[in-house]
Amino acid sequence: MTTPDIAMKKSRVPADLIEIGAMFGLLVATVSFFTVMAPGFFSPGIFTSMAYQLPELGILTLAMLLPILSGGLNLAVTFTANVAGLVAAWILVQVTGDASAGIIIVAILAALATGALIGAAIGALVAYTGAHPILVSLGFMILLRGAGEWFTRGGDISGMPEFFRFVGHGTLLYVPVPLIIFIAAVALWVLVLHYTRLGFSIYMIGSNAKAALYSGIDVARVQITLYALSGLMSAVAGIVMLSRFNSVRIGHGESYLLIMILACFLAGANPFGGFGRVLPVALGLVSLQVISSGLNLMGVSQHFATATWGIFLILVMVIRAPFQQR
Amino acid sequence: MSRFSKMAASLLAATSALAAPALAQDELTIGVVVKIGGIPWFNAMEQGIVSRADELGVNAFMVGPTSDDPALQVRAVEDLIARNVDVIGIVPNDAWVLEPVLERAREAGIVVISHEADNLVNRDVNFELVSSTDLGNAHANLFAEATGCEGSYAVFVGGLTVPAHNAWADAAVDHLRELCPNMRQAADRFGVAESVDDSRNTTLDLLRAHDDLAGIIAFGSQGPIGAARAVEERGVAGEVAVVGLFSAGQGQALVHRGSITGGYVWSPIEAGEAFVTLGAMLANGESLTDGAEIDGLGTVSYNDGLLFANMPLELSVDTVDGLAELGL
Repeated sequence: MTTPDIAMKKSRVPADLIEIGAMFGLLVATVSFFTVMAPGFFSPGIFTSMAYQLPELGILTLAMLLPILSGGLNLAVTFTANVAGLVAAWILVQVTGDASAGIIIVAILAALATGALIGAAIGALVAYTGAHPILVSLGFMILLRGAGEWFTRGGDISGMPEFFRFVGHGTLLYVPVPLIIFIAAVALWVLVLHYTRLGFSIYMIGSNAKAALYSGIDVARVQITLYALSGLMSAVAGIVMLSRFNSVRIGHGESYLLIMILACFLAGANPFGGFGRVLPVALGLVSLQVISSGLNLMGVSQHFATATWGIFLILVMVIRAPFQQR
Repeated sequence: MSRFSKMAASLLAATSALAAPALAQDELTIGVVVKIGGIPWFNAMEQGIVSRADELGVNAFMVGPTSDDPALQVRAVEDLIARNVDVIGIVPNDAWVLEPVLERAREAGIVVISHEADNLVNRDVNFELVSSTDLGNAHANLFAEATGCEGSYAVFVGGLTVPAHNAWADAAVDHLRELCPNMRQAADRFGVAESVDDSRNTTLDLLRAHDDLAGIIAFGSQGPIGAARAVEERGVAGEVAVVGLFSAGQGQALVHRGSITGGYVWSPIEAGEAFVTLGAMLANGESLTDGAEIDGLGTVSYNDGLLFANMPLELSVDTVDGLAELGL
């Protein structure tokens, strides 16, 4: 990337608006399509159902987004989430007798710390060994999976206190709690990526790590921080899943991994890093959920629904191609 | 700020479209969520669901997730709640995971019928076409006869958290211990039996590790198939017993070659029909009683939400062709 920073910054603003507008248009298109095709789609029931389903995949995708923006990848997100969930579950199960709000807060903090720690370890390895993030995070993915299977003996930890279910199944002013958590997570990511020095550094490292280093960015520190944040967000997803499923097992949500990566690319994140915004990703995720719920409502085979996600992702990339000559 | 407002607008659209009325459904609607779609067992179950629905004049369909990740079943149930069905049928991958969402389904006034999950709490009734004890005992008897009570054995289940498979395995192991006090279990239970490859690999490993391996007892639809292939590859077909339940069509050739000893099963077609029969009964306010005669289920025993029919199907050289023809 030889263009000076200032020029890039200027040209990015309208591109952003086009991107968000396009993703919003796509969302409107999918919603309209199913409103016509699937009788009963445009109903409170369906939107409530989507509001409960979207956050798990959504929060995990946000965890994946930061490494992708930096030109890396974090394949360990689902297992980080479940290991963090295991930690929280383990603490909660110890005190099933009287689960006070205090214990729940301790469990949540411990889970977040676990996630951040795992992320920081991945980041440190990426930063100091220079190994490709795919290799490092793949190693961690296998490590966490094995450790989790061993710890739980392939089974699950279940039977969370009644109050804890609120996180995954409750509502606050008629809005499902998981959705509120997801919106807060999106807001946090917008803040970090677009309004802090860290966010700017992440984009710069993604564009050209060497140039970023020579321009005085502490690349190692930024990488450790961004993977720690990715781990932290995975832990949030782990907590939501723990509550939604009333149990944690190391394999929960395993099937989401590839979908998460694709959802990032769907919204214009560049596989080689440096480009991509949070809001298009969030809108893209809502579109994917609309497709999945809409097809379910039409009673279409789940395998076909998965294929449709694939078609959708390919279609978006084909349409995008002419505009991506940056 | 415009980004935020757009985001807010889209989310508002997603959550607060509460004005549109839910579609009224006059026809009784039954949705059955199974473990995984696209494998022969659940294809047969779908056949039963659809044909019985035609007979009774109700709308019934099956939802088969694309992998055995329990998270996908939760999503499927959530969409059924949204769709406002009258009855949800469920064959759980992991009972615990489904409790909260099934609780929500019942709060929404939906009848929940489960199959192969007798410890599920949030359900109206769980039905089995044959009780776990009867099924486990039948396999143990067959296994004892085939091995002559000598050597060690291993047990496969669909997953360590699949309640029914583990109950059968418990019953089979207990009964085998009585029948053959000298036999021993070579290793802990393996959760591989929904995958042909994993069952085959595990069996190959077991054959390598244990010289005295007398046989495999496999619960989970792909277990005997994988185990029998491994046994054939190592040239010990017939010497190492492979006992368990499997799809007749898939195991037909293996039974005729003697690499699968046999097993007992129930018909997934009949299970699919039972979902619809029971769903229609409960949705119409009929109650279940012990000793009742139910169309397609025979005389059932019923106690506190657990319903058992007694309809085991023997899988052997004599029966397997007929069952395969039925599409099993």
